[in-house]
Amino acid sequence: MLEIKDLRAEIGGKEILKGINLTINPGEIHAVMGPNGAGKSTLSYVLSGREGYEVTGGSVTYMGEDLLALSPDERACHGIFLAFQYPVEIPGVPSATFLKTALNAQRKFRGEEELDAMEFLKLVREKTAELGIKDDMLKRAVNVGFSGGEKKRNEVLQMALLEPKLMLLDETDSGLDIDALKVAADGVNRLRSPERSALVITHYQRLLDYIVPDFVHVLADGKIVKSGDKSLALELEEKGYAAISAA
Amino acid sequence: MSSLTPLAQRYIDRFDTAARQLPGADNRSVSDLRRAGLEAFAALDFPHRKVEEWKFTNLTALTKPTANEGRVAPAPAPAIPDQPFEARFEMVFVNGRFSAAESRLDGLPEGISVTSLADSLGNGTVLSFPSQEKRAFLALNTAFMEDGLVLSVAEGVVLDDILVVTFRSEGDQETGRHLRNVITLAEGSSLTLLERHVGAGAYFSNPVTEVSLAADARLDHYKLQAESPEAFHLAFTDAELAERADYRNFSLSIGAKLSRNELTTRILGREAESHLNGAYLMRGSQHCDTTTLTEHRVPDTNSSQVYKGVLDDHAHGVFQGKIHIFPDAQHVAGDQLSKALLLSDYAAVDCKPELEIYADDVKCSHGATSGELDEQALFYLQSRGIPLASARKMLIEAFLADVLETVGNERVKVYFDGLSRHWLSEA
Ligand SMILES: Nc1ncnc2c1ncn2[C@@H]1O[C@H](COP(=O)(O)OP(=O)(O)OP(=O)(O)O)[C@@H](O)[C@H]1O
Ligand SMILES: [Mg+2]
Repeated sequence: MLEIKDLRAEIGGKEILKGINLTINPGEIHAVMGPNGAGKSTLSYVLSGREGYEVTGGSVTYMGEDLLALSPDERACHGIFLAFQYPVEIPGVPSATFLKTALNAQRKFRGEEELDAMEFLKLVREKTAELGIKDDMLKRAVNVGFSGGEKKRNEVLQMALLEPKLMLLDETDSGLDIDALKVAADGVNRLRSPERSALVITHYQRLLDYIVPDFVHVLADGKIVKSGDKSLALELEEKGYAAISAA
Repeated sequence: MSSLTPLAQRYIDRFDTAARQLPGADNRSVSDLRRAGLEAFAALDFPHRKVEEWKFTNLTALTKPTANEGRVAPAPAPAIPDQPFEARFEMVFVNGRFSAAESRLDGLPEGISVTSLADSLGNGTVLSFPSQEKRAFLALNTAFMEDGLVLSVAEGVVLDDILVVTFRSEGDQETGRHLRNVITLAEGSSLTLLERHVGAGAYFSNPVTEVSLAADARLDHYKLQAESPEAFHLAFTDAELAERADYRNFSLSIGAKLSRNELTTRILGREAESHLNGAYLMRGSQHCDTTTLTEHRVPDTNSSQVYKGVLDDHAHGVFQGKIHIFPDAQHVAGDQLSKALLLSDYAAVDCKPELEIYADDVKCSHGATSGELDEQALFYLQSRGIPLASARKMLIEAFLADVLETVGNERVKVYFDGLSRHWLSEA
C-alpha cells in the first residue's frame, strides 16, 4: 500500500528526514515511536503534502502511484488521512460546514453523489453517537476554544466520517483522558479492515494496548533505527530510547 | 488660481452655464448656496496627497487624466453585473437624474415622504453649507448638485419594509454625477434604507448624503458600492443624532476604480449610538478608501466601527478612522476595528486610527491588523480533501463572516452575502 524508500526531507535547508525506509502493506498497523524532535511529525507532514517540507531524495509510492506528485487534497481524496498532533483552529468556519465540505469534496472526487444537508446530518449524528462526541461541537468554529482532548476527538470524528484507507495518527493519544483514549482507539479499530492500514505515532505504549500494531519502529534523528513487533514497544518503555538506539 | 488641477478648472469654467440649467436656478437661496459651494471649491481644489486627510489616496487619475484630454481614459474592463434587489419600494436615478418610470414608490405608508431633490430645490428647500467647509467634494457637490433623494419620515412612523434607492450610471462622462440626498427622521420614527450604486463606463460619482435623526429615531442605512470598475466614487455621508437616536450604517464596497466612502457621525444627544461597519472586496488595481469621523459631543453615548477588507492583486485599501470625544462628554464608549486580508504580495492597506479624547471617563479602543491567509488553516482544510481554491474561499468567507453578521436586516444580509460570494467565485 505504501512504500517509502530512502526518503530525505528538509525544512528551511535543515535536513530532518535522513533516509527513511518503510513499507506498509494493506491491513497492517505500524507504530512509530521515538524521541522528541526525531522527525516523526515531519514524516507525517511529508506524507500528507504540507508546504515547506522539501523532499530532497528518495520516493514514496502509494497504491502504485507517486505520492509526492499529488497535492494535499488529492492525497486526502486518495484515502490518506492525517490526525494532527496539533489540530488547527479555524475561526469563522463552523465545524459542520467544514466536515460537509470535506466529505463532499472527497465524494465528488470519487465520482459519488454529494450528500445534501439532511443526509450529511444523519451520517454525522451516527458518528458522533458512536464516538460519544457532543453534537453542539458541530455548531462551533473548527477547533476554536476546544480543549486539547476535544480537538483530538474531533480528529477521530473526521477520520470516522472520511473513512480513509491510510490513517496517519500523530500522537492522537496525547492529551486524552483514559475514556477518550479508548474512544480514539475504538475509532481506529472500527475502521480496521484487510484493505486499510495505519501509521500510529505515539510516545506511550498504553495506546498500543488498544490499537495493537503489527510492527513497531523506532525513529531517531531522521532515520528508522530499529523495527520489531509489538514487544519492542514494551522494551522501549522499560529501557528508553538511548539503550535501544545504541544497540 | 493658475495652479488648479485641469478638472477643477473645467468645473469652474462651466459653472455659470451649468448653474442656469441646474434645478433651483430661479431660486435665490439655491443660487447663493451653489455660489458658496463653488467659491469654497475654487479655494480648495481637488485634494492632493499633501493634504493630511488624503495622504493615502491619490486622485491624479481623476483630476489630471492625461490620455484623451477631456475624457476619462477608456479601459475595456467589464462592469460588475447588477444583481437587483427585489423590493416593493425603489427609487431609481439614472445618470444622476430621477427616473419616475423605473421607480416604484406607490403605497408608501402615510408619513413617509419621498421626493426628488430636483423638485425640492425648485420649491425652495434650503440646504446648509458651512462657510469654512474643508471638504472639496462636499463643496463641489453643493455647487453642482442636480438631483437626489429627499426623504422625510414623520414622528413615530415606522417602515416595516426596505426603501431601496438605486443610482445607476451608464456610459462615459468626465464631469461628475453630483447627487445630494437629504434624509430626515422625526422623533421616534424608524426606517431601513438600501443605497445601491451601480453602473457601466468611465464616470465620476460624487454623492453626498445628509442624515438627521431626531430623538429616538433609528435608521438602518445600507450601502452597496458596485460602481463600474472604470469609475470614480467619492462619497460623503454626514449623520446627526439627537437623544437616543440609533444610526447603523453598513457599506459593502466592491466596485469602482477608485473610491472613498467618507462618513461623519455627530452624536449630539445623550444615549444616542452610532454603529458604522463595512466590508470592501477589491482586486486588480482598485483603490478603496474608508474614512470615518465619529464625534461624541455629549456624555452617555456610544459608537462602534468594524471594517474588513479583502485585497487581491494590486488592490489598495485605506482605513482612516477618528473618534473625537469632546470635553465633558463623559461615560462614552467608542470602539474601532479595521482588519484587512491581503491575498497577494502586491496588495496593500494603509490604516490610520485616531483617538482624540478630551474627557476622562471614557472607554475607547481601536485596532488595525492586516495579514495573509493562515497557511496552517489552509493545509488543514486541504488535508481533508478540500481543493486549495475552495479552501481559500472558505477562509475568506470566514474572515468576513462576523462583519457581515452585523447586517441586521435579514434580506439585506442575504443580498450582501450573495454579492460577496459572487465576488469570491471570480477569484
Ligand atoms: N518549521 C520548522 N522550521 C525549522 N525546524 C523545524 C520546523 N518544524 C520542525 N522543525 C525541526 O524538525 C525536527 C523534527 O521535528 P518533528 O516535529 O518532526 O519532531 P517529532 O519527532 O514529531 O517530535 P515530538 O515527539 O516532539 O512531536 C525538530 O528538530 C524541529 O525543531
Ligand atoms: Mg511530533
